[in-house]
Amino acid sequence: MRISEQSKQENRDRILEKAAELFTIKGFEDCTTRDIALASGLATGTLFNYFPSKETLAMTMVSEALGQGREDFQRRRTGEEDLSEELFLIITSGLRRLRPLRPFLGPVLERSLSPFPRKNICPEGEAARLEHLAAVQEVIGRHGFADAPDYVAMTIYWSLYLGILAFWTNDPSPNQEDTRALIDYSLQVFVQVISGAGSDRGEAHAR
Amino acid sequence: MHAEEGKMTESLKMNMLLEALPKESATDPTGKRLAKLITSISNKKAPVNTFARIWILGSLQAKVTAGYFAYWLRSRFVDADKKQRLKSAAHLNAALQLFGAMGYLRGAVMKVGQMLANLPEVVPEEFAEVLSALHFEAPPMHFSMVREVFLDEFGCEPEEVFAHFDRQAFAAASLGQVHRARLHSGEEVAVKIQYPGIARTIKADLRNLRLLLQPMCLTKDWQDTLTKLADIERMLLMETDYEQEARFGKEARTLFTDADRIAVPRVYDDYSTKRVLTTEYLRGCHLNELLVTEPSQSERDLFTHLLTVATFRVFYRQHWLPADPHPGNFIFMDDGRLGLIDFGCTLVLTDEEWLFSNEPIQAVFDRDEPRLDRAIAKACLFDNPQEMTTDHLDTVRRGFLWFMEPWVKEGVFDFGDREFFLRGIDNIMEMTRKRYTRSVPMTIWSNRFTLGGRAFCYKLKGRCEFRKIYKQESASPGSSQTSLMPQTEES
Repeated sequence: MRISEQSKQENRDRILEKAAELFTIKGFEDCTTRDIALASGLATGTLFNYFPSKETLAMTMVSEALGQGREDFQRRRTGEEDLSEELFLIITSGLRRLRPLRPFLGPVLERSLSPFPRKNICPEGEAARLEHLAAVQEVIGRHGFADAPDYVAMTIYWSLYLGILAFWTNDPSPNQEDTRALIDYSLQVFVQVISGAGSDRGEAHAR
Repeated sequence: MHAEEGKMTESLKMNMLLEALPKESATDPTGKRLAKLITSISNKKAPVNTFARIWILGSLQAKVTAGYFAYWLRSRFVDADKKQRLKSAAHLNAALQLFGAMGYLRGAVMKVGQMLANLPEVVPEEFAEVLSALHFEAPPMHFSMVREVFLDEFGCEPEEVFAHFDRQAFAAASLGQVHRARLHSGEEVAVKIQYPGIARTIKADLRNLRLLLQPMCLTKDWQDTLTKLADIERMLLMETDYEQEARFGKEARTLFTDADRIAVPRVYDDYSTKRVLTTEYLRGCHLNELLVTEPSQSERDLFTHLLTVATFRVFYRQHWLPADPHPGNFIFMDDGRLGLIDFGCTLVLTDEEWLFSNEPIQAVFDRDEPRLDRAIAKACLFDNPQEMTTDHLDTVRRGFLWFMEPWVKEGVFDFGDREFFLRGIDNIMEMTRKRYTRSVPMTIWSNRFTLGGRAFCYKLKGRCEFRKIYKQESASPGSSQTSLMPQTEES
């Protein structure tokens, strides 16, 4: 039986919605594709037509949230931000969109974004990584760094970013405000690395 | 070449440090051991387990302060047996490391260090500077950080909450910063925003510091120090509760009329939360900016008068000790009024504390020396004056009589009198040196209040009829008690 594009889209949205609910209730690891198919009113086989794995399903949510975060970022940036402030804005805009998924995100991100060599690279995870890095490179370019940042700079950035994500998924402070401070300081470190500039150790403030 | 220059500066710094550090005549006459300890600690990179750690106290002034801190702590266990001494030394090291990482104390510690490095020739001006620096600092927030705080607190961006919002902060507040903004209804406001998470960092640090110091407890005085540390913690954490500050501000606002020429800014509840406080913007300047304009004596006197009225008013009507007389909390307004903008650190006296604090004041008015001595002994945690040494009692009494000088002098009192201010400092120094520091916890608040206020008026070089203001404010309707003046003096 052929189904229309519209009902395909509806199925896809429903799967994502139900999966998010189940991941939140049961946790990512304890939830099976069967559970999700059942909750979505689909056969498990049909579910695989949409998402080949549980991991892909979760990373699709992540990728879409980060995409929305980038749109928010484009809308929110004023053009007056300096480099570290603009990077701060892009990261926090993404995290705000990821916030509803936070309860189950730890194991998802660990599996899909791990920088270690793996046999099965999650294509959704890899796409999310590349899209994020492209946006970051664009920001860096806008602030006058003509050459594309080399692998050292981007590896440092990605390590900091993963560290921020890991801390954030586990951050017990109200509204994850400790993460915000961590982002701020991580970016100061990163900007110092790529610009070779000395650090502002707070002199401006400690008058 | 460069390396050698570096070495030179290092050794030069080391010498300066050695010069400035206190010496223990018995165990460390040259101060070298202490200097080594401090240097090794403050050169260590602090582990960044909380964000505020990126500001470490690495400066020379900070080392001098840490040196005094260590000296003072060590002197407490010099006489202990070897086992206890080793244990205490280990705790001292850990405490100093933690102290070195408390970056939000940076400004205060540097100012204290500058002063200590110039001992014993400390000038009153320096002392006044130190008093005005004793507050926590937070790293500055860029606008994107401010926006995140707003999204969490209000669910929308600052530009949506306000008709206009300045991206740049115009002032640093303790633990946060202040931005100017305009409400949709047109009012100009000041928006104070707290740095995320800093209150929890400070709380954790102070608790850890107390735990580290606990096992070094050897004497009754030491226990008293720990009790005071807990009270300091309470005092400083009050400043992080903007909701409470808003309540104090609103209450204070009802105490003054237009005729008083004292302004307390209106609080805008709809625009305030635990971490954001929005109040009316008062147009004017702070003390240092005022002093640059070389104000006339009558201007100086006017503001000193207003400051005295304001503090007596909240003291007698509300039984409040505004324990943070930081110069940034007072606005010299363009229209000649005095603005009081910060009620973050206000101690509300209990009835017992109220009577307790009035007892020695009354005794001075009654010229009842035995009663004054009894009140002093009680404040110093002794059962009666006979338990104190003559020198101890004399020193504390001298300090209290210094405090009372403006209260008993008829006519104009000159707070700009250098000799007067210097006597107060000398007394504090003497008490610290002789370790006559044991006292009820409330004295931390009242000392901060008194010394801060006196330092402020000293810088301002202002005069006022202090005794007359006292009489008026303590006797005015709404005050909970009539004047403490004896009847004979009134008649």
